[in-house]
Amino acid sequence: MATAALDTHDAGHAGHGEHAHYTTTGLEHRKIAIWALIGSECMLFASLISTYLVYKGRSKVGPWPHDWGCKTSNVIGKTAEAVQAAGCAAADVMKPILDIPVTSQSTFVLLMSSLAMVLALEGVENAGKAGYDKWYKGSKFWLAMTAVMGATFLGYQSYEFTSFVHEGLTIDTNLFGSSFFTLTGFHGTHVAVGVLWLMTLLFIDMKRGLKGKTDVLLVDICALYWHFVDVVWIAIFTLIYLIQ
Amino acid sequence: MNRLPTRRLGSALALAAVALALAACSTQHYPNTTFTANTDVNVDVNALWNRILFMGTLVFIFVEALLIYVVIRFRARPGAPVPKQIHGSHVLEIVWTAIPVLILIPIAIPTVKTIFKTQAPAVADALQVEVYGHQWWWEFRYPQLGVVTANELYLPAGKTVNFTLQTRDVLHSFWTPGLSGKRDLITNKVNHLWYTPDAKLTEAAFNGFCTEYCGASHANMRFRVYTVSPENFDSWAAHQKTEAMGSPALLAAQAAADSAARRAPARAAVIPTPAPAPAMAAGYVFPADKMGAHTIPKTPIPASITYDDNLLAQGDAARGRALITNPANMAKASCLTCHVIKGEQAYVNDDVARGPNLTHVASRHTFGGGLFPLDAAHLARWVKNAQIMKPGATMNTFGVGQYSPMMKANVTVGLTDAEIADVVAYLLTLK
Amino acid sequence: MATTAAPAPAYAAAHAAGEQTGLWSWLATVDHKRIGTLYLWTALGFLFVGGIEAFIMRLQLMQPNGQVVSAELYNQLFTMHGTTMIFLVVMPLSAAFFNYLIPLQIGARDVAFPRLNAFSYWVYLFGGLFMTIPIFFNAAPDGGWFGYAPLTTLQFSAGLHIDFWVLGLQILGVSSLAAAFNFITTIINMRAPGMTLMRMPIFTWMSFVVQFLLVLAFPAITIALFFLQFDRFFGTQFYEIAAGADPLLWQHLFWVFGHPEVYILILPAFGLASEILPTFSQKPLFGYNVMVYSGIMIGFLGFGVWAHHMFAVGMGATADTIFSMATMLIGIPTGVKIFNWIATMWGGNLRFTVAMKFAIALVALFTIGGISGVMHSSPPTDLQQTDTYFIVAHFHYVLFGGSIMGIMGGIYHYYPKITGRYMSEKLGNWHFWLFFIGMNMTFFPMHFSGMLGMPRRIYTYDVGQGWETFNLWSTIGVFFQAAGLLIFAWNFLKSRKSGERAPNDAWGAGTLEWSIPSPPPEYNFAQLPVVTSRYPLWDLKHPERTADIAHSAPDQMTITDSHAVPMHEETERKSAKDLGIPMPFPTIKPLFAALFMVIMVGGLVFIHAATLQVALAVMISAAALFIGTVYGWLTSPLE
Repeated sequence: MATAALDTHDAGHAGHGEHAHYTTTGLEHRKIAIWALIGSECMLFASLISTYLVYKGRSKVGPWPHDWGCKTSNVIGKTAEAVQAAGCAAADVMKPILDIPVTSQSTFVLLMSSLAMVLALEGVENAGKAGYDKWYKGSKFWLAMTAVMGATFLGYQSYEFTSFVHEGLTIDTNLFGSSFFTLTGFHGTHVAVGVLWLMTLLFIDMKRGLKGKTDVLLVDICALYWHFVDVVWIAIFTLIYLIQ
Repeated sequence: MNRLPTRRLGSALALAAVALALAACSTQHYPNTTFTANTDVNVDVNALWNRILFMGTLVFIFVEALLIYVVIRFRARPGAPVPKQIHGSHVLEIVWTAIPVLILIPIAIPTVKTIFKTQAPAVADALQVEVYGHQWWWEFRYPQLGVVTANELYLPAGKTVNFTLQTRDVLHSFWTPGLSGKRDLITNKVNHLWYTPDAKLTEAAFNGFCTEYCGASHANMRFRVYTVSPENFDSWAAHQKTEAMGSPALLAAQAAADSAARRAPARAAVIPTPAPAPAMAAGYVFPADKMGAHTIPKTPIPASITYDDNLLAQGDAARGRALITNPANMAKASCLTCHVIKGEQAYVNDDVARGPNLTHVASRHTFGGGLFPLDAAHLARWVKNAQIMKPGATMNTFGVGQYSPMMKANVTVGLTDAEIADVVAYLLTLK
Repeated sequence: MATTAAPAPAYAAAHAAGEQTGLWSWLATVDHKRIGTLYLWTALGFLFVGGIEAFIMRLQLMQPNGQVVSAELYNQLFTMHGTTMIFLVVMPLSAAFFNYLIPLQIGARDVAFPRLNAFSYWVYLFGGLFMTIPIFFNAAPDGGWFGYAPLTTLQFSAGLHIDFWVLGLQILGVSSLAAAFNFITTIINMRAPGMTLMRMPIFTWMSFVVQFLLVLAFPAITIALFFLQFDRFFGTQFYEIAAGADPLLWQHLFWVFGHPEVYILILPAFGLASEILPTFSQKPLFGYNVMVYSGIMIGFLGFGVWAHHMFAVGMGATADTIFSMATMLIGIPTGVKIFNWIATMWGGNLRFTVAMKFAIALVALFTIGGISGVMHSSPPTDLQQTDTYFIVAHFHYVLFGGSIMGIMGGIYHYYPKITGRYMSEKLGNWHFWLFFIGMNMTFFPMHFSGMLGMPRRIYTYDVGQGWETFNLWSTIGVFFQAAGLLIFAWNFLKSRKSGERAPNDAWGAGTLEWSIPSPPPEYNFAQLPVVTSRYPLWDLKHPERTADIAHSAPDQMTITDSHAVPMHEETERKSAKDLGIPMPFPTIKPLFAALFMVIMVGGLVFIHAATLQVALAVMISAAALFIGTVYGWLTSPLE
């Protein structure tokens, strides 16, 4: 029969006892599924970002993301008219609550983590090849670097969140608070999931070494996810922080 | 199996449908019909509707007839040859892509025209009416006239009315099927709707409904629209603006008028004559006998509320007024914490009042979101236990000993049935 | 009616093939056919729940000032009727067919992720129970199926009602999304050799479109629900009036999901009808390419029309115009589908089986729903129609006349494939006519009650409004429908044991699923087929039918007799093991993962039902168990 070669039983083995099934496209199932997931996630973040933008100017009481110059404590829970009427002392003048310089640093770290992710994938793809046995070319180092940079980003975010809460902005202060924390919180959760994923890969790498086609796929789908999370952050940073 | 009663039944249904459609034009049998020419807006809407209905009927007849033909013509017959295998036809595909386009264009063009016509700003001299939705009743204000009323809307025939629609709580939708399409009342948003009732509608009554689900008593959030002659409208509005009967403010005004009347003739050295009755010109009220059966509510009274109607005859308006207005009775008759009676002690103003303005409540034909006819028997039961009378109603249960579903307890401090008769007697004076 | 030799006893075949039976085999199954069957049974169970809800509502509205149920209960009934029929009946019935048919139609042995598939089902079951059971405690959701804020916020809906709704929909969303990822991957990646996209059976094509709609539309409602959930449980202000919230945020997010959802509900039924009509016309589907493109077009345009549900909110003339025009555009691909179905029948040899009757009824009734759809695509007329019974009539013609009729046809059509026995045509005819007559009797008068001023979602109406006759008719029609449903249930149950035995190719159809035994062995295809045209089975049995369509490399065609009867007799004595086909291990882990996930998410209600501490204790322990189960799942081998 012409179909004999398609019979999974004869198709040979790859990786760790898993059967390489016949697939129409030649791609692994998980690779297609992760693209579908990313498509879905795009709509998820599109909904969150649009909500933030719709609510940007609607908060009845302060603080507002960009346009104020007083200490947050002078603005919290006050309407725009009340803030204007009260004015603020010269000594009060501070930056707006969204801290662009600090967030630029965390954005840079997250961008660099994508680079590290690329190098990690390259490390797995070339595992065992000449030249890739050096620590700075191997997947372990770059997986660890990616995870560390992701964690650093989360550190920045928790610093940002705590300083906002310290200044008095929480999820129940106003619409800005609700939509800001929900949007960045969703993104942060995605980064956290990514860091856990990277650490799991790193753990497997340490334990038995990542190599071969199946392992490349394992790292590849994580990389796709990681780059997506990174790209979403670029959108968030541009639309929420930079554009006033 | 294939004797096709379906198709015959289908055509019978279609015929029945047409017959029903013709019958639907009758406002007598169908008092809330949308197929009316009562307003300029609805004339446009119906012209559009008729065109779409015509196109739709064409499509319906064509498609269903074709289907019936195919089903009969091509049913399997014994010994029939294998059918010719046709996989498609580019020409046909283009044809029946074009058919919907050709049908839609004559619908789309007048649609766009009508959208922009009906959504243009209302004329500048339109009568302004503010509509506020509440769970589950309607508040109507005439800012140009200083009138605040509830559940019954008076409109002068032939004059454009511009509604400003807002809600005090959840979403509602303002709909008078006989006059025009609906418009939602959206929290934190101001919506508009305008139309001009036909000048011939000088004594017509319409039902209105809330058409956005708004909680327990969504079905009980109804209202009435009375279109009246401009003169009668002015008369009604002038009276609605006045203070409540028996209120200190009104009494003071009357006293002032009295003394002026007494002094004036004195100055003229004319023999004093008894002053005429105070200038309490009873304004126009839509005549009850013109309302038509469809606008007179017939909601049954829940069986669990008992009240001896004989008590109502003994009700005393003065005692009733004292119960409501005397701060000493606040604990058992806290009416004025939620209702405004213009001229009486005010604890709330119209912007925060949770219940309808009662200044001229007795000039209305219905109450409770248009749920009950306004008469002593219904009012008494309402005051006794509104929460049973209308599901979800947030008005206090005042009958002592009554169970309040909202408080989940029996009322300990409240009104006796005799006191309720007094309150009702007072309310009925608020013409 | 059968074109092949009489087969061996179907159930005996399953036993002989060494397949598991008994409760455990169902709880631990990862077989797409069994999961499909579970979906089918569960969804039909919920169909009865939703039907009883509708029945009580019609009793209440039979006459003015009805006293059957209270306002509060009625509001729960209509909310749960809509939610149940959409999320717990029509979507899962479609999912039953996705599960059962997609792998068979594309020549695959299972779906891409069999255990995830089982997980989807169990999440659906537990999520459905989570939402449905509260009605027995007068605590069911009561905010309407589209739950417009701010009515659903704590300020206006304090009890647990809305909590069950928000969390229940979140749970069901997980199920739908997981299934959608699975089917997208399955269809893209598991088609048999030669099964190009443009050779896929039309049901698989419509399902493919639906999976994309699910993947792209569900996130919008997920986010809208998260906002509501955070508002209710954690104090955010997305829908809080006092904070200046815009209730239209909810409406936009909801309908960005809600309109594609309509196509999620209808396209699978279109797909089923497109399988049934050619089979019983003995002709190929007319304009296959156009049917595919119009399905894609409907799905695509479906994302650009959501605000036609909101013409009354005052979006302004320009927005109204844009959404109105976009909505009218959808009428074009839909009309094309109707004409293609009729053209498929044109010149055919029409056999009026019950399945065929349901499919024809879909064409006839959906046309009515489509026409009334055009009527409210025009905002000025829509303002007289929206939120009245006219709309109720419209969407029941679409969802009952379209989806349910198509799905019922699909059940009669595929029952022999699933069970190996035919359903009774005699009872089926009773079912069909009771449904057809009852459905029209119930929903056609609603066009009139709506245009004559009757708002929807009212638990009572006064006498003398001109609606009495129509409502009486509507209620009488429901009795017909209920009788039809009971006859269907009896037919469905009894035919499993006593129905006439079905051969592989129960109806003389042309697609791959009919080439294998009924019911199929667990591995479906003993050898993966190589496909060279759209109707591989007709290639084999009626080459004259497919002679005109493009074939690739006809010499490679391997739909030989071995896939038909002789193959069947060969394989029924062989298990997957005998044939050396690796099958996924049965596992109970997806069930427990689903159970713990539902408890984890649903545990939030304890914040309102008990205390924060109780909620935390429940959720944290469920989360720990969930993570443990998923860990076990991911680390255990698939096959």
